[in-house]
Amino acid sequence: MSMSKKYWKGLPELHNSPEFQEKAKNEFAQPLPMDEFLSSDEAEQSGTSRRDFLKVMGFSTAAVALAACETPVTKAIPYVFKPEEVTPGVANFYATTFYDGHDYSSVLVKTRESRPIKIEGNDLSKVTHGGTTARVQASVLGLYDGARLRGPMLKGIDASWKNVDDAVAASLVGGNIRILTSTIISPSTKAVIAEFKSKYPSTEHITYDAISYNALTLANKNVWGKSVVSSYDFSKAKTIVGLACDFLGNWLNPTEFAKQYVLTRKVSKEKPEMSKHYHFESNLSLTGANADERYMVKGSELGNVAVALFNEVAGATGNAKVGGNEKISNAEAVKAIKKAADALIKNKGQSIVVSGVNDEGVQTLVNGINKMLNNYGKTVDVENHFNLKQGDDKKFAELISEMAAGKVNVLMTYACNPIYTAPASLKFVEAYKKVATKVSFANVLDETAQMADVVCPDHHWLESWNDANPKRGHYSLQQPTINPIFSSPRHEGTRQFQDSMLKWSGQKTDYLSFLQGVWNNGIFPNQGKFSDFPSFWANALHDGVVKTYIHKDVVVMPMAKDSLGKPVLAGVATMINELVGDSIIKPVAQEKAKDKKEPFEAVEFHPTPDFNKAATMATAIKGGAFDLIVYEKIGLGNGNNSNNPWLMELPDPISKVTWDNYITMSPIDVKAMGLSEMLRQDIIGSLVDLTVNGIKITVPLFPQPGQAPGTIGLALGYGRNAETMKVAHNVGVNAFQFLNFINDTIQTVSGNVTVTKSEGTHKFAATQIQHTIMGREEYLLREVSLSEYTALDKSAWNPETELPVHGGGKKNVKEIDLWDDHPRLNHKWGMTIDMNSCIGCAACVVACTSENNVTVVGKEEVAKSRDMFWLRIDRYYSSDMSKEKASEENVGTKEMYIEMENPSANPKVTFQPMMCQHCNHAPCETVCPVLATTHSGEGLNQMTYNRCIGTRYCANNCPFKVRRFNWFNYTENKDFADFNPSQLELGKMVLNPDVTVRCRGVMEKCSMCTQRLQAGKLVAKKAGMPIVDGAIKTACQQACPTNAIMFGDVNDTESEVVKWRKDERNYLLLEDVGVKPTVSYMVKVRNQEEKILPKDELIGANKHEGKKEETHTEKKHS
Amino acid sequence: MKTNISPTTLKALLTLVFTVFIFSSNLKAQTADEGAKIFKLNCAVCHASHTDQMGTGPGLKGLFERIPKGDWITKWIINNEKLIKSGDLYANQIYTKYNKTAMTVFEGQIDEKGVASIVAYLKGPDPASKVVAQGPVAGGGVEVVEPKGGIEPLYLILGIIVILAILIGAFRSVRTSMQNSANRSEGKAEISEVTFFQEIKGWMRGHRRLVGVFTIIIAFGGMKSCWDACYNIGVYYDWKTQKGYKPEQPVKFSHKLHAGENEIACQYCHSYVEKSRHAGIPSVNICMNCHKGIQKGPQYGEKEIGKIYAANGFDPKTGQYDPSVDNPLKWIKVHNLPDHVYFNHSQHVVIGKIECTECHGNVKEMTVAEQKAPLTMKWCIECHRKTEVIMEGNAYYDRIHKALKEKYAGQYDVKLTVEKIGGLECGKCHY
Repeated sequence: MSMSKKYWKGLPELHNSPEFQEKAKNEFAQPLPMDEFLSSDEAEQSGTSRRDFLKVMGFSTAAVALAACETPVTKAIPYVFKPEEVTPGVANFYATTFYDGHDYSSVLVKTRESRPIKIEGNDLSKVTHGGTTARVQASVLGLYDGARLRGPMLKGIDASWKNVDDAVAASLVGGNIRILTSTIISPSTKAVIAEFKSKYPSTEHITYDAISYNALTLANKNVWGKSVVSSYDFSKAKTIVGLACDFLGNWLNPTEFAKQYVLTRKVSKEKPEMSKHYHFESNLSLTGANADERYMVKGSELGNVAVALFNEVAGATGNAKVGGNEKISNAEAVKAIKKAADALIKNKGQSIVVSGVNDEGVQTLVNGINKMLNNYGKTVDVENHFNLKQGDDKKFAELISEMAAGKVNVLMTYACNPIYTAPASLKFVEAYKKVATKVSFANVLDETAQMADVVCPDHHWLESWNDANPKRGHYSLQQPTINPIFSSPRHEGTRQFQDSMLKWSGQKTDYLSFLQGVWNNGIFPNQGKFSDFPSFWANALHDGVVKTYIHKDVVVMPMAKDSLGKPVLAGVATMINELVGDSIIKPVAQEKAKDKKEPFEAVEFHPTPDFNKAATMATAIKGGAFDLIVYEKIGLGNGNNSNNPWLMELPDPISKVTWDNYITMSPIDVKAMGLSEMLRQDIIGSLVDLTVNGIKITVPLFPQPGQAPGTIGLALGYGRNAETMKVAHNVGVNAFQFLNFINDTIQTVSGNVTVTKSEGTHKFAATQIQHTIMGREEYLLREVSLSEYTALDKSAWNPETELPVHGGGKKNVKEIDLWDDHPRLNHKWGMTIDMNSCIGCAACVVACTSENNVTVVGKEEVAKSRDMFWLRIDRYYSSDMSKEKASEENVGTKEMYIEMENPSANPKVTFQPMMCQHCNHAPCETVCPVLATTHSGEGLNQMTYNRCIGTRYCANNCPFKVRRFNWFNYTENKDFADFNPSQLELGKMVLNPDVTVRCRGVMEKCSMCTQRLQAGKLVAKKAGMPIVDGAIKTACQQACPTNAIMFGDVNDTESEVVKWRKDERNYLLLEDVGVKPTVSYMVKVRNQEEKILPKDELIGANKHEGKKEETHTEKKHS
Repeated sequence: MKTNISPTTLKALLTLVFTVFIFSSNLKAQTADEGAKIFKLNCAVCHASHTDQMGTGPGLKGLFERIPKGDWITKWIINNEKLIKSGDLYANQIYTKYNKTAMTVFEGQIDEKGVASIVAYLKGPDPASKVVAQGPVAGGGVEVVEPKGGIEPLYLILGIIVILAILIGAFRSVRTSMQNSANRSEGKAEISEVTFFQEIKGWMRGHRRLVGVFTIIIAFGGMKSCWDACYNIGVYYDWKTQKGYKPEQPVKFSHKLHAGENEIACQYCHSYVEKSRHAGIPSVNICMNCHKGIQKGPQYGEKEIGKIYAANGFDPKTGQYDPSVDNPLKWIKVHNLPDHVYFNHSQHVVIGKIECTECHGNVKEMTVAEQKAPLTMKWCIECHRKTEVIMEGNAYYDRIHKALKEKYAGQYDVKLTVEKIGGLECGKCHY
């Protein structure tokens, strides 16, 4: 099939520069250094004669032969006392909770021989629904981070816990104590802080989120009288309007939102309905890339959009309009607002408006719109609210002025790093220096810990007990999956924050007992399932999550004390330890809790929101020539995980750049300023000076299609200056300093920005731009608009591939084959990817890295196209030019093609996960001289590393470019020591022992998680039953939050994957080449008015074009 | 009256008496042996037979002075629970004395005859003392390697060489200076300094034959030590496969004694073999199941078993553990596969129903564990080629069984081997 759209993968291709054309002809981005090797001057001048050469050869042969004789003695060291639940070689899974103050996820942790090696989503969670994000997947590596502190520090010197406790105890006497944390969603931790407060009444707890969502709570207070973050249900929405809100990538709880969002976008002929998603933003975000219609708006005009939309909806629903600036420079966006408003009103009660602008005014207007649309209680819910993102920016600012005035004696920072994350304008650093005793609980020596007097390293989350209440009525438990790695006698050890606080509060209990006390008193009474606490607890620990049906929040208060002042923990610790199952023990505080009135009802009132005031606030930012919008990246987020090499190397889903922080600008602006448009293949960018509010930095520039003209994007999480964080140290610049404190909230948009050219250039390391697919994009992507999908037959939008045969006529490609069919007698594994569901979030990429021991190669190697990802997500831009349009406007063919590669300023984006397609007639297998890559009887293309001699013929012959050559001994070579985790004894522990660690000189690629298949088959064989469909999941499938990847046995006619494959949208990549892939894709359906398919008369022209391709491919075969 | 007993009669009588005596003593010995066997199998885990050593249960030295006479012991051994419940005074007394630790009920396993033989064994002499008295030979042909004492001969030789070299050097300089002083006094010219190297060269020129012999000896010694070094690191009889690799283990553990004579099942110690890819080397706490009670071996007495206690901090005198001790035993792995091979024991043992001996040889006869199979890919593949898959009765195989039967229908002698279900594919073991 031919598509009238033209796709392009990067600016070099778009501009079709001579250099690009030259490069595109080459398979390899870099020329092979043969000439250099064979005929360098150095070689000629050197005195190496043939005789010397033979001598060296002879010696090395002898040395190798000698070395081969050696058989190292391997020791096997069994346990002294084997823990009962551990069986070496068998994985254990523990349900626990990931929460780092920013992201929440309920997860299962896979442990081998008691070490966590992989994170998987917990399907039982009703908050994350078994999905994960790239950051959650990668967090297991943080456990083995060499930068982690081994013990507490006092004034920058290693100290013992006793000394630290004494020092802190001395400082706590008298004076103001302030505890600064990111949002705490753990009821027990809140109780611990309350405990501390009751001992030291001068204590105040301030919540501050590095990336603030404060406006959400303020707006809900304005409109509903409740200072909460409402929850959202995108699955019930038919119209979705996003206003600079990256709800699929980063905003609030993206895992849940992605799941819900995609539910509205799974189309079939039976249910040909999709939600329609309008998006207004400045930076091209992941959510914007997935929107049906995306409009570019300047950062300073985002508030104006809110006002305009409010007035449109108010006008149509008969509500009062607001005054305020409605000026929007993009005329298309103005039209779109009207269109979006119409759609919203049409789907009243089934629509949703969300905004990521952290401005009280904007959020109040958005709440107003949702209220006018009657969405509350349907798609938006303030009752079942989130407990995430409770940061109070105003209080944070007040704290800073208090600190600056020298009124704070002790400042404790937990799960936050304000030295790094506070906006420069708040002058936190200066204020921090004036605090007498600064206590940090960071587990690495981060920016704040470096300046702190006392550092009390907290456990990693995989070593901790904790609980979480992310959403009202939803609880989850965090349990240790490994003993604290740094503990006595080898190290002074880490100590959990809560244990430190309990100790300092004078409590003798440990945190686990305390936690159980809180659950016994506060959560157990709210559920109706279990009658005794031990079974309730055991079940909660097993499932990881609990949903209570009585909507009552845990009251935050110190634990009840008995007459001797000992906390009443309802005897739970002993109860659990001995697990006296048969005697039901009544929690003592249960009756008390019942009497308490719910705090919620007490403050129930409906204020009259002042939308006019909101409109004034929303439009407060004055735009300049350029607006700066700082944003969160999929990889690094708020920088909590900066030191994680997996995330650093993860290509940004949109720009595909790794290991770098840069400003993004519209290519139009870049051209106008005469800066590097990066037309060359090796993507050398310009360096520019960026000045924001008087702070000037030098930063590389990346021209980003889809960036609103007049705006600049800059990612957070980079620019770490903590030296022990070797991976992240000095990578990029710190964008947190440019956060803007206006209207008492920390906002991401700044108006007063200048950009000037600077000296020098910058080399980027991006993954996709270098890979060309030989101009076969049309055979890789298939798209159709919803109206065409419903109206037209399959042959119009997903036609069978036909090839001309000798003697005239055409035959279906399925009937033509060079090779015989191989029957797959037992299993025939197959994978299908729904392109409509894939949002490009990259969780699968990190999951694959983690599962398959895929190595980290670093920026230099990525820049040489030597990245090792087995699974990548190809991102394609598309252009507005179509053949239809060309014929209407009388554009010549040549001009049409040139124009096709020219994007509208705002390109459509398509994501396509790409891994080994396990071709049934695999071209790689036929060229391997040593049979290192072969086909299995179950339809997999297998790679045998120990046979591979590294000729790379297979990679040359792979039409999908999914084979990766292992160039260096990454686990030993000192050049990679700074960032390759496998170079550390500690980092090695994350490796999956069921998968070989590949050595240098071999080819590697997706194995379709063959280790999981083998394990799954063994389970079935042992049980004596056929494999249950869905029992075996590949790592990418398991990690996917949107269920876009389906895997199963195609021979099992009842399997889900067969159902997917029977769908009309199913197609194979490059089918005309005849490789018969095992992986199939499903056509992407866009809910847009514009037609994607050409008109009938143009199909002929396409076919003509297709013929050209065919002769081309035929030539290739012959 | 003189009674005449003919020498023949006397002979016959004597023979009879002697035979009876021998027969009766043999009978006794037989029961005691039987008892020893039963005791080892059932009781030794918790009780020491001839000492008052406390294991899980009390040591049995002086047992028969303590307990009530009559058939109390029979009742107690066969069903102690019943005896306690019947209200027997002594039974309840000891039950309380030992913290109400329940003893196993042996009803159906040991009958009255068995009890009698156990009693005979317990009343007989301490077998351990016999072993010590008789020396190592009683242990069943185990060669005893005497622990090496004193200085290693190699170091001794090296030391002597160094001392000699120093002496030669000293004598040389003394000789030269004396010669020179003599020369000085005689007014002769001083001898120019001849370097040590030159002197040796000169000496060697004069003693070519001797030097040749020495060179040969040294070269041979070097080769021998190289060979020994290779031997130690596992270059054994079969250069390619390491078949016969038999490293000396940190504990002189005898499979022959445990699996052979005492007939302990392989899975008792290698307990993950049916669950995991690893068969598993038993953790020290598994050893302790038996060796809490059995504190002396037949061969090395307390020495080797003491290594177990050193690993986990068990004090055999008090029966207490020292929780601070954690010195795992560092066994030397005998069967090594390369890292790029995935092998799963449970698959072969549970699904393939392969006996341990098929790959590991007759371990029951091995004093020191030894690699019997070559563990080469050829060996794996040969087995996969000829071994038939047990498909009947396992619903997992239904589909492929049916498909294979159709595929090979009408062909004679087609075996549905591992090969036929993909057992030779690279990706089954290498990933």
